[in-house]
This record gives sequence, structure tokens and C-alpha cells, in this order.
Amino acid sequence: MKKQVLYTVGLHATLVLILLGVAFPVYFAFVIATHTHEDAYAFPPKLLPGKQFLANVLEAWTRTNMGRLMLNSAIVAIAVSLGKIMLSILAAFAFTHFRFRGRVLLFPMCMVTQMLPLPVRIVPAYQLMASFHWLNTYYALIIPYLASTTGILLFRQFFLTVPDELPDAARVDGAGPLRYLWSVLVPLSKTNIAALFVIEFVYMWNEYLWPLLVTTNPSLRVAQIGLKMLLTTERTVAEWNVIMAGTILVMLPPLVVLILMRRQFAQGIAMQSTK
Amino acid sequence: MKRVISLVLLAVVGVGWIYLGEAKIRIEFWHAMSGSRLKVLEKIVNDFNSLHPDIEVVPVFTGTYEETLTKFIAAYRAGTAPHIVQVYEVGTQTMIDSGAIIPVYQIPEILGETWDWGQYILPILLYYSVDGNLWSFPFNSSTSMLYYNKDHFRAAGLDPNKPPTTWDEVEEYGKKLIEAGIVKNVIAFGWPDWQFEQQLALHNHLYADNDNGRAGLATKVMWPDEFSIKVFETWTRLAQEGILIYAGTEYDPNAAFTSGAISMLLQSTSSLDGILKTAKFEVGTSFLPRFPGEPIGNSVVGGASLWVRKGLSYDELRAVWEFFKYLGNTDVTIYWHKNTGYFPATNAAVKQLMDEGWFAKSPNHLTAFLQILIGRRDTAASIGVRLGPFVAIRDYIRSAMEKAFSGALSPADALAEAAAKANAALEEYRLSLGK
Amino acid sequence: MQARFPGYRILPYLLVFPSVAVIIIFLVAPFIQAAIQSFRQTSPFGTVSSFVGIRQYQLLFSDPTYMRSLLTSWYFGLLVILGGLSLSLFIAVLVTRKVRGMAFYQVAFIWTYALSPAVAGVIWALLFDPAIGIGTYVFSKLTGFSINFTIQGATAILILAAAAIWNMLGYNVCFYIAGLQNVPRELEEAARVDGAGPWRTFWLITFPMLSPTTAFLVFVNTIYAFFQVFGLIDIMTKGGPGGATEILVYKLYRDAFIRVRYNYASAQSVVLFLIVAATAIFQLWVSTRRAVYLR
Repeated sequence: MKKQVLYTVGLHATLVLILLGVAFPVYFAFVIATHTHEDAYAFPPKLLPGKQFLANVLEAWTRTNMGRLMLNSAIVAIAVSLGKIMLSILAAFAFTHFRFRGRVLLFPMCMVTQMLPLPVRIVPAYQLMASFHWLNTYYALIIPYLASTTGILLFRQFFLTVPDELPDAARVDGAGPLRYLWSVLVPLSKTNIAALFVIEFVYMWNEYLWPLLVTTNPSLRVAQIGLKMLLTTERTVAEWNVIMAGTILVMLPPLVVLILMRRQFAQGIAMQSTK
Repeated sequence: MKRVISLVLLAVVGVGWIYLGEAKIRIEFWHAMSGSRLKVLEKIVNDFNSLHPDIEVVPVFTGTYEETLTKFIAAYRAGTAPHIVQVYEVGTQTMIDSGAIIPVYQIPEILGETWDWGQYILPILLYYSVDGNLWSFPFNSSTSMLYYNKDHFRAAGLDPNKPPTTWDEVEEYGKKLIEAGIVKNVIAFGWPDWQFEQQLALHNHLYADNDNGRAGLATKVMWPDEFSIKVFETWTRLAQEGILIYAGTEYDPNAAFTSGAISMLLQSTSSLDGILKTAKFEVGTSFLPRFPGEPIGNSVVGGASLWVRKGLSYDELRAVWEFFKYLGNTDVTIYWHKNTGYFPATNAAVKQLMDEGWFAKSPNHLTAFLQILIGRRDTAASIGVRLGPFVAIRDYIRSAMEKAFSGALSPADALAEAAAKANAALEEYRLSLGK
Repeated sequence: MQARFPGYRILPYLLVFPSVAVIIIFLVAPFIQAAIQSFRQTSPFGTVSSFVGIRQYQLLFSDPTYMRSLLTSWYFGLLVILGGLSLSLFIAVLVTRKVRGMAFYQVAFIWTYALSPAVAGVIWALLFDPAIGIGTYVFSKLTGFSINFTIQGATAILILAAAAIWNMLGYNVCFYIAGLQNVPRELEEAARVDGAGPWRTFWLITFPMLSPTTAFLVFVNTIYAFFQVFGLIDIMTKGGPGGATEILVYKLYRDAFIRVRYNYASAQSVVLFLIVAATAIFQLWVSTRRAVYLR
């Protein structure tokens, strides 16, 4: 009995320590974000929060026009997430409910998207944006991301589990495939949609390299680039308190989305790992 | 019904006619002036637009210098390039070879105007000229100078009004500062690769062949030669003695200087205002340290200039030219200088600043000026080098410095390694142009 | 598989068309362009272009900075994968023990997934800032060494790797949890009955059963360590000090967009593609092999 208690206590203790260790960097960042410039530079570093949080947040906000940046990130993240979901559902529906020669496309599509991450095609992709006149537009930030074979596979897997009776019943009722998709399949797929949404929203909010390249106009830049802007000021000494305040701002939305939708996220992971 | 329609159409056409007739000439201007410089630039542009109701200059901040140039290249290839673009000095050769611009000296000729180029500060003019003709418009120029901490000097028993003139003195003062326990390291370089260029030009030594790339495309760099090896060996020795500390690139070392961790800094004049505001000690400035017994050259111009895209209509050229003339106005130039620290580009502006006692009030603002004005301007070596793959070559020099300072390679070997890479880059650049 | 809606000829193509179009226009076509450009030499403004065969590749492989970049990328990748996966596996094993309250921990690590590499970069740059970083402080108190990742190359890579491992922790832990929960309990219990201790059970039964998960995570972490860390590096070191952290993707970015050497960068893109393709195929091979073995 004692051994069991020791084991439980030990396990909990270890995990709590690990959790605290993992959370500590964020805590320290938060503490620095609450101090004045001088206090932030105190050595040894202070470990307790100060009173300047709102002031620093305001400074970071105005200095980078963070409101606009976060709006851009939100627009892009939501547009891509919804767009991806839509395109994936359509494609997955086609692959599972029809017999057509194009079905063989699925495997090459997946391989191709896996093997062609951005840096492998970055220069021509950038030039493509220039020739479409899409540089410094939302199009460049959204459209290239709209195809997702992960999404297609996810929905395909789900659609395959739907018993044949449903589409058969729909056909008997005289409903066309699109009606069936919209009124039956999509509502059934709510969990998958939510899972894909949270994964894609976080992913798009956190994208860095592509937005860095295709948008240099301050009114089009995204929140991640706001961080870079905070760091490369003309000030001769880094103002960590303001920088960290900005960082906290930038990391909140995906964090909030993830925590609110953690169940769906966990489900998305579970589905991916039982491929 | 038909009557109504025709009346409406007439009205629409009429309004359109009036509107189009009053249409302003729109000039798009891409630049890399961030932070406080952005506001200064916007005010200048707004004032110009108010004075010229038929022209609208639209300034667009397009990121860093590199980002701006990359965007310009892509936009040009896509046919969406702006009328004016600000390109850093390092991109000069690329722009000259681009086939995308019209050299600015041709503009007044096309417009039938005469223009006195003599009103601009000569070293800046020379930097951006090809065969004696100006290709890009001077806008924000700077150079490098020595910043030093007068309080530290006093504490070490050194005369705060006698900063070191030669590298020997830098070493001597450095040892005293360290022995007095004031600092652990004494001096750092902002833009270390640029400081290497500065030393070569300062002593009238060529950086590359073909007259520093000014008589024709450079085919090879002149280093390692006796002088450049001496520079590297001196710096390596200082680094190993702890006097020189390699504290990063660009503006990274500024923090070490303003926080009092080091006593001296070689840095661009454009940092002057920032340093004066942040430093809690008395800041002194002087010319860059020299090597005694070596020839006299000049310090090199840095910063950026304005380039004009080719294929503009007559009206657009006229608008661009009006804008450039406005930028050269004494008041505007002085406003730009006072709020950013860049050189005022015209002689008239310098005179007015002197007359109003500006330099007397703030002698630090005069230092870099004096340095560049008293240097020689008649040799290619003293004007500065022009290279196609400039950014890459600066990278190689920086690597060479890091390797030499850390002892991984001897100074001569480090330079030789960098030279091999630089020459390969130069060859690739010529190859890409089909030369 | 039966066609659930027989008789529709064109509709399925229409449904698939948007995805295929995006993939062809924005993924495949640019890559082919990159491959073509890697065999040419073009002036920056595109005014002159000529075919130069394998010149770019020759330059690439005779360039010591590229070879250094290759090695650094692999070294960094190895640190991230080995360090990250072992730590995550350890945590995942702990939280899947049949003890009360573990469900809390299973969700408690998720939040790190929300942090972008750039955010992780800012936080860790602060943590180990030479002047005010608490990590620097603690390290110097513990070992007497003052580390400075802005001027010490070896330190920079280690701290970058630590930041990367931290960044991917939530993701890796979640997948390992899912993987562990899929390991059939009967197998573990059978081993226990046979007298195998927990350690042996783990290495002989559990870990091999996890190999599809491990292979998958190796692939994802490789992609992360080779590509997504761009934000991390751009924020923390920009490839410095002295190129010590200029991994392949960062060098590509600098060569293409700062040094304006488009063709040279295209050759690097192709090499990167080959690396990714090889890793993808390897992962595929391991997971199908595992699937066959299971059967």
C-alpha cells in the first residue's frame, strides 16, 4: 500500500515539476512584460511581476500598430482554415463517393504536398506572386495555403466510416450528391471540422517565412512579423519589457483557441495517429 | 427615357472629364525608412504634396533595405515597379546593371532644364556617379566615425579631449583603460565589414580592381595585400589582447557602448542621435583611427540613394524632378539632417547650419562632416568600391574577421580565404550579366 | 469500394479541381521552375539568362559554407529529434500510467503547441540574453561559465535546439500519448506475466509497437527542424554568430533574398527537396513495414 502511495506521489511530483519547468519560460516572459525598462534590466533578474503590464502592452500595441497586425493574422488564419476545410471536404467527398479515374490522384497529391514544403519552391513562388500582382495583398497570404492533403485524408477516413445506408437513403429520396453532402455529411463531420479548424488556425497564425516575404507593407503585415519589428528597433538597447508585452499579445489568440477547443484538437491528433 | 439616359451619361462624362483633368500625377516612392525616420519622411512628402497640388508623391514603406530591393526586382519583372525606389549603397552596382532605371543626370536634360550638380556635397556625388555622371539621387548619406566615452577617459587618467588618432594610440589607450579597471574590453566595430572598407579607403588603398569597380566591373579584389594584411593583423592582435571585442554586426555593438561596457565604438553617424539620447555619459566623437605612415584617402559614404525607374512619361519625370529639387531645398535638407542624423546633401545646407551655430552647439554633429570634407576625393580608392555581389562579399569579410579573431586562421589566411570566395562571386556576377 | 453515387462523370472532377489546381499552381509549378532555374545563370533583374548545366551544384558542393550549413542542419536536427522525442516519450509514459489525475496532465502539455517558433524564439532569446536572461544567470551560478549565444557558436546551436525541443514538446507528447494508448494492453500484460520487468517490457514490447508513431514524429520533427525553425532563427540569431546557426533553409533565404543569387538558391531548393523526399519515403517504408509486421 505504501509503495502505491509513494509511486503516485512521486509520479505527480515529477510531472508537476516538469510542467512547471515547461511553463517557466512563459512565466518569466510575463514577469519581464510587467516591469519598467530599468527593472527589466535588474541583475539578478526579478522573478515577481511588476505593475507596468498595461503600460507596456499599450506601448507595444501603438509602436507596431498591433491591432492591425492581429486583425490581418485573424483574417488570414480564419480564411485559410475555412477555405482548407471546404476544399478538403469537397475533395474527400469526391474520393469516397464516386468512381472516377481521377481517384488515383489522391496518393500523388499527398506525396507531393508532403515533399514540397515552402522553402523548396520559395523563389519561384515569390516571383509568381509578383507576376499575379498579389504581393502585399491578402490573396498571396491565403490562396497558396488552401490545399491540404491532411484535411482530405482526415475527411476521407471519416466519410468511409459512414454506413452506406445514408447515401443510399438520400438517393432514394431523390437528393443529389451535393445536397447529401451539405445536409447530411457536413453536419455529421462537425467534430472533424472543428479539429481541422483549430489545427489550421494555430498553424496559420504562426506562419512566419511566407508572410515575411510577400507582405512588406505595414498595413498587410501579420502579428508574427510584428514581433520581428519590435525586436529590430532603432533603440540602441533592446526594450525587453515592451517586446515581451508584444509577445504575450501575439501568442494569446492561438493559445485561447487551442484551450477552448482542446478536445477537438486531441481528437484530431487521435485521428491522425490511427491512420 | 432616352433623354434622361443621355443627360445622365453626359453628366457622368462631364464629371469624369473634370475629375480626370484635375487628376494628379501619382508618383510611387518605395523606401526603407523605419521608426522615427518614417515620420520625418512623411512630413517632408506631405509638405511637398501641399506645395504641388498637381503631383501626389505616395511614400510606401517596403521594409528593410534588402526587402525593398528584393521587392523592387520582383515588381520590375512583373511590371509593377514604383517610380522611385530607395536602394542602399551596397546595391548601387546591381542597380546600375539592372537596365531598369534611368540615370538621374539624364532627367534635367530630357526636361530641358539646367541643373547645377555642384550644389551637392562632392564625396556623395562621386560615390553615386559613373564616368562623372550622377546615376542616383543623394538622399540619406552617412559615414563612419569614432565614438568614445569621455567619462571613462577621465577615470583612466586620459585627456578626454585627445581621443586616439592612430591604431597604435587605440592600443595604448586601450591598455590603460583595461589596467585602470574601467572596462574589460575597449572598442567594438559597428558594421565590421564596412569598417574594413573604411580603412582601405581612408588610406587610399583600392578594394577591387578596375579602379574599385568604377572603370568597369570588378574582376577581383585587391586583398590580401600588404596593407590589408596589416589591418587584419592589427585588429587580430587587438582582439587577442582583449582590447577589441567582436560584438556582432550592424548596430549590435551600440548597446555595449551606451551601457558603458566598452569605451570606444566605430559606428555610422546615423547612430549619433540615438547614442546621445541613451548614453548617460559625455560622448565624444572623432575621426576614424589611422595607420601612421600610410597614404591619405577618405572615409566612405554609406546610407542610400534614390533611383528612378525607366519608362516614365514626360509628366511623371517632371513630377519626380520637382520632388528631387524639393528634397534638395536647404530647409528640407536641414530638417532631414536634424531629425535623422544623415548628412545634409547640399553645400548650402551645411553653410546655413554653420551660420545658425548648429555645429557650435553640437560639435559631434560636425565630426563626420569634417572627416569626409577634408579627405581627398580625386582617386577611385578614396571614393569607395562598387561591387555587384557586395552583400555576399561583406559576409565573407565578416567571416574572415571572426576566424582571424578567434585564432582559427591566421589573418593572412583568413583574408585569402575570403578573397577566393569574393573573386568567385564577382565572376558569377559577371557571368549572370552575360559578360 | 462501391461508388455511392454512380453515374456522375464530371462532378467528382469538379470537386477535386480546386485542391488540384492550388497544388499544381502553387506547389508543383514553382518547384519545376526552381529546378529549371537551378541549371541556369540569370541576372538579378531577369534581363539576361543562360544555361550553365550543373555549375550551380558544383559551386554548392565545393562551397565550405554550404557544407557547413548541411552539417549544422543535420546536427541540429539530430538534437531536436533525439532530445525532443526522448523527453516527450518520457513524459507521455508518465502520464499514461494508471494513476488518478493523469488525465489532467495529458491535456496540460497541449498548450505549447500554440506557440509559434517566432514566439519561442523571443522567449528563449530573453531567457538566455547575455545581460538579463535568467537562464544565463542560473547557468553561471551553477557552472561558473558565462555563456553568450550571440557570440559563441556552439552555445547558440544548443540553445536553439533547446528552444525547438520546448516548442515541439506539446505536439510530440500528444502523439505519443495517443500512440501509447493504442498499444494493446494484452501484449504488455503477457510480457508482465512472463516475468519481464517494466523496463524490459517497455523496450521489447511497447517501444517497437510505437514505431509508426515514432517514425511519424521523426518525419514531422525533421520537417520542423529543417523548415519551421526559420522563425526561431530569424528572431534569435539570424544564422549567426558567424554562420554557426545558418541551417539550410536560412542560408537559402539569405542567398535568395538578401544576396540576390536566385539560381544558386534554386539549386539549394532542389537539394532540400531531395532530402525531404528521402525522409518522406523512409517514413512511408517504416510505417508500411510495421503494418505488415503487425499483421
